[in-house]
Amino acid sequence: MVRLPTLTWLALRNLGREMRRSALTAAAMAMGLALLIFSRTLANGMHEDWIDSGVGLGSGHVTFHAPGYRDSESLDDRMSAAQVAASLAAVAKAEVPEPALASVRVATRGLASSPEGALPAFIIGVDPTTELAFSKLGEEVVDGRYLEDGDRLHAFLGQALAERLGVRTGSRMVLTAQAAPGDIEGQLVRVVGTYRTGIDALDQTLIHIPLGTARSWLGVEGATAVAVFLPHSSYTDPVLEEARAEVSGAGVEVVGWPETSPDLYSALKLDDGGDWAFHVILFAIVALAILNAIFISVLHRKRELGLLRALGLSGRETGLVVYIEGILLTFASGIVGVGVGLAVVYLFLRDGLDMSGLMPSDLNFGGIAFDPVMVPVIEAKPVIQSVVMTALIGLSAALYPAWHAARLDPAETVKVD
Amino acid sequence: MQENSTAGNGTNGAGQPAVHTEGLWKIYPQEPRPVEAVRGVDIEVSAGEFVAMAGPSGSGKTTVLNLLGGLTRPSRGRVWIAGREISELPDKELAKVRLSRIGFVFQSYNLLPVLTAAENAEFTMLLQGLPARERRERVRRLFAEIGLEGLEDRMPPKLSGGQQQRVAVARAVLAEPALVLADEPTANLDSTMAEALLDVMEKLNREKGTTFVFSTHDPRVMERAGRLIRLVDGRVEG
Repeated sequence: MVRLPTLTWLALRNLGREMRRSALTAAAMAMGLALLIFSRTLANGMHEDWIDSGVGLGSGHVTFHAPGYRDSESLDDRMSAAQVAASLAAVAKAEVPEPALASVRVATRGLASSPEGALPAFIIGVDPTTELAFSKLGEEVVDGRYLEDGDRLHAFLGQALAERLGVRTGSRMVLTAQAAPGDIEGQLVRVVGTYRTGIDALDQTLIHIPLGTARSWLGVEGATAVAVFLPHSSYTDPVLEEARAEVSGAGVEVVGWPETSPDLYSALKLDDGGDWAFHVILFAIVALAILNAIFISVLHRKRELGLLRALGLSGRETGLVVYIEGILLTFASGIVGVGVGLAVVYLFLRDGLDMSGLMPSDLNFGGIAFDPVMVPVIEAKPVIQSVVMTALIGLSAALYPAWHAARLDPAETVKVD
Repeated sequence: MQENSTAGNGTNGAGQPAVHTEGLWKIYPQEPRPVEAVRGVDIEVSAGEFVAMAGPSGSGKTTVLNLLGGLTRPSRGRVWIAGREISELPDKELAKVRLSRIGFVFQSYNLLPVLTAAENAEFTMLLQGLPARERRERVRRLFAEIGLEGLEDRMPPKLSGGQQQRVAVARAVLAEPALVLADEPTANLDSTMAEALLDVMEKLNREKGTTFVFSTHDPRVMERAGRLIRLVDGRVEG
């Protein structure tokens, strides 16, 4: 369109004349965008923290196991040594910026007994060094220490379970479970330390013992699972795809954390849904504010817009002047909003946003212990999504005033009252 | 002053009248019955004429000017501007006709408040795509002729009512239209300013041959018109 530069020039002049109104309208959009960016980056950081926590206490981002194990959780459905080796080889080939950590595990359900009684327990045999880098349990020590290389007949268990069994660091207790050959076998272990995650399901049942101890006690050569911890949850799908291709002939099943931790996945989806609902409400309000501001400005300028028609602009071009004003406002708001949003995010990047005053310290849900300090994580995708969303809202809100301006009757609007 | 109740008889340089209408009606649908604002008006204005359209309030002067300028469409009848029929043109084409063949001067609020006096005067030429140098030169010369020299960079609120109307007249004539339509251009001016504005319009009519059709109910203004068309109750009188 030949006259586009002229119409843009005129739109800029119009915005400049009503500087206060333009600034307030742009500020509403910019603040909405800044809030959206902050909220999205905060949610990003929080969700990654939940996933970290969830997979760190659970089965990792990606888990290799024998077909059927996820349903039966039985040693009958374990991986052979060759399958474990194939799984570890597949992990080593995964294309991730930092090496993925793979923890070979032998897990079983059984009983933990002490002179004070016996309680059901979920016992996992782990390699202490790998697991320490992987699991969050090592960070939650209440008493004693986590397992170390060289430990043999040792156990690390939840403080709640220890209290119920009446054991503490240095105490001995017996673990009993059905071994691979089918017999019930007992194993005497000494408590090296206790932990508290705040998640009752873990604190009251989960026990870590050295992998070698578990293998010899349960008569297992391979493992029940190989849990893989990735540098970031976003690598899950690509690694999953690569790993499935690598072990396709080995009779090993590979699953991602959404399948192994369905509660965590649901919690994230629920939170995402809540976030979007909040954003939609926020932006509906912003859109109404923009529509209101531009529309009132059109009503105030009816005579001017009529004059433009008389001078030779078509209705469409007159509407376009108003629409360009909306575009320019949206563009300016986008720049300011991204700047302000990222500045606010930057303020909280190091220490995070401490919400401990608003939530209990031991809040947990779906196997996740909520950290009251939320640290935002900046990623291009949510920032771009936020900008696109704001642009769509701004450009949509300007449509009606532009349409109205395009349909003004020039003879009526240039009338003298 | 020649008083003519119906049509003129002149033509423009190409042998066409500047404006010509046939059986022009404008009826506004309204309850309890429609309002007939213009009732069968036939007008012909030759190129270079200086025509006043007079009549009491409500006689249909503004509606006729709006019909001639393509700002509103006739309910019946036809309008030709410099030989081109505009009555049924689509919006986009009508806008082109307004841009290329018609200049408007309204009673008030004539200028775009976000533009300077010179930018307002240039605006139609800018839309026509004239080069900046030519636009500025035309504005400079005309501003000097009509006493606006030195006011080029003033914003409309910093100009007097008379100066604003002169800028509007400048904008209307600078694009060299076939016809300038002015709706009570002196109504908001005191007598001195009104005289000065008419001097400018007459000068432009005389020296540049610009065709003017303006509405008025001021007898002093009517006296200055080359021809007078009287409207009463939406009809040309006589």
